Amino acid sequence: MTRQGWQTGLVLVAATALAAALPLALGTYSLGVALDLMMWIALAESWAMFSGLSGYVSLGHAVFYGVGAYVTVLLWQVLPLWFSVPLGGLTAAALALLLGWPCLRVRGPYFVILTLGISEFIKYAVISTEAALGRNGRLLIGTPSLTVLFEAMLALAVLSMAVLQIVRSARLGAGLLAIREDEVAAEAVGINATAVKLSAFAMSAFIPGMVGGLMILRSTYFEPMQAFSPTTSFTIVTVAILGGSDTVAGPLLGSLFLVLLSELLWTRAPEVYMIILGVLLVAFVLFVPEGLVGRAGRFLRAPKPGPSSRDHRAVVIEP
Amino acid sequence: MTLLRLEDVGKSYGGVAALRGLSFAVGPGEIVGLMGANGAGKTTAFSLIAGTQRPSEGRIWFDGKRIDGKPAYAVARLGIARTFQIVRPFAGLTVIDNLVIAALYGRLRERSRGAAEARAREILAEVGLAADATRPAETLTLAGRKRLEVARAVAAGPRLLLLDEVLAGLTASEVAEALDMIRALHRRRRLTLVVIEHVMRALTQLCQRIIVLHHGAKIAEGSPAEVVVDQRVIDAYLGTRKL
Amino acid sequence: MEEVADVSLILSPQLLAAALVLAAFYALIAIGLNLVYGAMRLLNVAHGELVMLGGYIAYWGFARWGISPLISAVFAVAAGALLGVLLYATIIRRLFRSTRMLARVEANSLLVFFGVSVVIQNVMAVAFTADQRGFSYMDGVLTIGSVRIEENRLLALAIATVACVACALFFRYARSGMAMRAIIQQREAAALVGIDVDRINIQVFALGFGLAALAGTLVSMTAQISPFMGFPFTVSAFVIIILGGLGNLLGSILGALMLAAVEVYGAALISPSFRSILVYGVFIAALLLRPQGLLGRSIAAR
Repeated sequence: MTRQGWQTGLVLVAATALAAALPLALGTYSLGVALDLMMWIALAESWAMFSGLSGYVSLGHAVFYGVGAYVTVLLWQVLPLWFSVPLGGLTAAALALLLGWPCLRVRGPYFVILTLGISEFIKYAVISTEAALGRNGRLLIGTPSLTVLFEAMLALAVLSMAVLQIVRSARLGAGLLAIREDEVAAEAVGINATAVKLSAFAMSAFIPGMVGGLMILRSTYFEPMQAFSPTTSFTIVTVAILGGSDTVAGPLLGSLFLVLLSELLWTRAPEVYMIILGVLLVAFVLFVPEGLVGRAGRFLRAPKPGPSSRDHRAVVIEP
Repeated sequence: MTLLRLEDVGKSYGGVAALRGLSFAVGPGEIVGLMGANGAGKTTAFSLIAGTQRPSEGRIWFDGKRIDGKPAYAVARLGIARTFQIVRPFAGLTVIDNLVIAALYGRLRERSRGAAEARAREILAEVGLAADATRPAETLTLAGRKRLEVARAVAAGPRLLLLDEVLAGLTASEVAEALDMIRALHRRRRLTLVVIEHVMRALTQLCQRIIVLHHGAKIAEGSPAEVVVDQRVIDAYLGTRKL
Repeated sequence: MEEVADVSLILSPQLLAAALVLAAFYALIAIGLNLVYGAMRLLNVAHGELVMLGGYIAYWGFARWGISPLISAVFAVAAGALLGVLLYATIIRRLFRSTRMLARVEANSLLVFFGVSVVIQNVMAVAFTADQRGFSYMDGVLTIGSVRIEENRLLALAIATVACVACALFFRYARSGMAMRAIIQQREAAALVGIDVDRINIQVFALGFGLAALAGTLVSMTAQISPFMGFPFTVSAFVIIILGGLGNLLGSILGALMLAAVEVYGAALISPSFRSILVYGVFIAALLLRPQGLLGRSIAAR
């Protein structure tokens, strides 16, 4: 690692320690906001790990969040939470493997709408199941305290960032980028595209599954319409694209912005909040596809071209 | 001693045969040319060998192993690399990363990025792209992209390299440079080459042996000197074309 | 006993009538989407929002000024067509001129249109609240043989059927109708044989958007509307295009009949909550098994 790498690492450790101490300093409301922030970071970083790197844009990540929540709810007071929440994550990852097998052959906009359709399909399937079981929502009583949930969510957020960073600099990340650029050429240099895509898709579903489990403990009420809401998928994509979907910093920045925006607007004018998100998504896809972080990076590096200026989409190579 | 052997290989699309009963063998270290008009089946033959497509009939052996029907990535890992006639660089990535990816995943499966990058730099120097290493691939000229296509295939660490019209569209001086580059790669990296080319003179200069395809079937095989005087080849191609 | 009940359900003319009405709406929406998708080769996920806008025009006219939805329908078609022309003239035309921009949009078309659709939905929610709304117009019940059907449904069915037949005749016999089909099949070839692609594209957008808005006014006569009603219609229309084939307008009508039958009978035989599962199930299966339905024959053959 370079000196700069060490410095960055140190800053990150310090930031994590500070964040872990937040429950001591913040009131219930502020801690709730901080929890939301960690949630969006964990979701968006996980999404970027697959969709940002591979170019297969999933508009269905809500399904992993929802499935994780459902598993946690079903196992409530059956199994201990330290077991059931990760099990929710594993279930989400297994579901991703199952869905990815047929779906990851479909490319481009068709993959996007397919993921959305599947997420909606599973939502209605869960609704039907719950109706058949005679359940109209499930109430969870005696869930862990906000502080516990926050610390757990913080851990997931940090984990998701670490996973993205490691994947980016590992063989898997190189394979995903190659697939994003040209899948046929990727196969021709020895990349097993199916295996690479499937494993990355499953990995990117794991953390959202656990996030769903934690969030259902926070809301203490499970209702499938809410837990599987496509708005979650939409927000994840917007957050990641806003910040820049193939760096660790991008989804982090996007989440900060989102939480700020939601604090200003969500309770007072939820529709206006959604309108702003929609406008931002369209504007960034069309005009700033590299995201805020990419744009800033390009701006900073612009004056000094040459070997040191690396294209923002490049594979990161550890020296 | 053969490295690659095709036996009665054929491919048809919905009843139309693109390639019929093609058999030939290539020994280690050889440079063999595939010649023929558009639609003669040259690129189809490459796709079948490289696993991009599955043959409808016949068998293909590489280094003693059956490879027909194996997926492209598996064939690449065994040590066959190909270029594409219409180049397919990883356009948004830097030139060097195009090679790093191939080195990480190809036959060599370099363990670390450091090793992959070292290998990539070495190859870039050999093909004359060292100065362009950190440029995005999409900013290269056509000649540059053709070189990158070859360089990326070499980075995968092949024993057999399939070159599909890497000279097409280049100027006369660029062709001469590219030929030197290919010869140098062949020598230094102990490659076996199968080359598709329209530039007839380049093919006769480069290859020890030429296979001529016509309407999906082999009509001649032999040294360049033999092939250009073969009556079937003259009837099919040379009679109407200037050499 | 259960078996007998099921059989009588299938034979029930009541269900058949319900399926026909739904199919007629679907056909209008799907023909519009088929046209616009065929011309742009971009999936317009916001197509259902046009249906919603048409519905609100009828609702607004009736609730505010007591205007008959039949008159509003004319306004809705005009408004939809105008929107289509404006969209084409301001954005789409420019998009087709810049290959760089087109490539970027093509890659992310779904996100762009999804974003647009979220914006439209929420603008309407701000303007009209997110509540379900409806109005009563011709809600007497007619009895024809053994079928009991509301007058407004029958009227909507009649109008939609006439519109579909008119479309079919237009595509078969009118010069610009034939030109539209040619463009959907092969844009470059159409330009080569002397079709003014730009002019026909404007007509495609006007017609496609107008049909969706018309469908919206008809839907609002028979059911409650809300700002978020559009997306399910978009999904249904996609299913229908996949089933019926791109550029195949007769196929769209047949596809609409099939999907409506699956939905109505499925909901009746199993349970109403099963309806969405069925639609999304068909949607997923169609995308996985018949993606060439979205690509048209000329492209799929490549």
